[in-house]
Amino acid sequence: MKWITGIFSLFFLFFPIFCNASDGPAGSISRLKGTASIIRQDQVIPAQIGDKIYMMDSLKTGRDGSLGVIFKDNTLLSIGPQSEIIISEFLFSPAEGKLSIVTRLLKGTAIYLTGIIAKLSPESVRFETPVANIGIRGTKIAVKIEDTTPRIP
Amino acid sequence: MDFSLRTNLNDQGGSHLTYKIVFIYWCSIFFLMSCAPRKNLIVLLPDDNGQVSTIVVENKGGTQILSEARHATEIKAVDVSPTAPVSMKEEEVLKVFREALSALPEPPMRFLLYFISDTPRLTAESQRQIPEIMRAIKAHKSKDIGIVGHADRVGSREYNYKLGLERAVATKNILVSKGVDPSGIEVDSHGEDDPSIKTEDNVAEPRNRRVEITVR
Repeated sequence: MKWITGIFSLFFLFFPIFCNASDGPAGSISRLKGTASIIRQDQVIPAQIGDKIYMMDSLKTGRDGSLGVIFKDNTLLSIGPQSEIIISEFLFSPAEGKLSIVTRLLKGTAIYLTGIIAKLSPESVRFETPVANIGIRGTKIAVKIEDTTPRIP
Repeated sequence: MDFSLRTNLNDQGGSHLTYKIVFIYWCSIFFLMSCAPRKNLIVLLPDDNGQVSTIVVENKGGTQILSEARHATEIKAVDVSPTAPVSMKEEEVLKVFREALSALPEPPMRFLLYFISDTPRLTAESQRQIPEIMRAIKAHKSKDIGIVGHADRVGSREYNYKLGLERAVATKNILVSKGVDPSGIEVDSHGEDDPSIKTEDNVAEPRNRRVEITVR
């Protein structure tokens, strides 16, 4: 029996390697204004038009910044100034039935227009905020997380 | 704040009290900053064709469905149900989301080019479409172009995968020869597996001998 447990634990140890269907870029930055950066594994990279975006990247804008992304499935996403969003999940291989797009807005404003994933598999599309989940069946939405910076009287 | 400090300098006797007030004042701001729930606003917008779909907003507190243009819901906390939908005016939406709206990319443009049977050579008609595609790439200032090649079902699956790839590469070469940066072009093949027109195996179908170009 021991060798079965061994094989199982080896499998789970290497599980992340088996399921790296997310290697390719999720999309690219196609619009940019002011300061904006990509945060990739604790590295802060100044954003530029044409930069590729990968699953698990965060996008962040400064006071004067805004940026727009086109995903591989033609989903369109933009964020306004002082905003931050994480691309938590992106899987787009229709042939293998792997479809998923999950984004999480942490602060600021965002516009989101669904693409092919929403057409093929609406339940695989989710837009999250710290206080709610939004299921989207092929449409355009706007989301704002109120700024809590206090106004000093 | 300036005022209280000045009072403090003039009134030596009450100095401690003044400082304490200032301190508490800042404390409460930091306290509010860290604890105040960040209210979320979610608005359903019509898409570029004016069509409105449905969104479902949910959290631990409950669920709210939005299905009309510019209907909005507010959420105060994760365990407080989203508010009933409220209609927003177009100007209000533009005011709150101006920068984000203007940063939204144009939808990608798609083009189809067709090929002569069993070759990576464009049909005469498709060749005439190249200038239009070049104009779109320039207008979009696109650095992200996807080219996917396809074939009909005459021949084996493997053969058609290769034929699709040859067609995609041939199309890439045409664009590059017209001045498009090759680093922004991605080629792929779907072989015979992603037809425009579904057919039985080994059926010749000119409409499936194609490449799809997506200009993002």
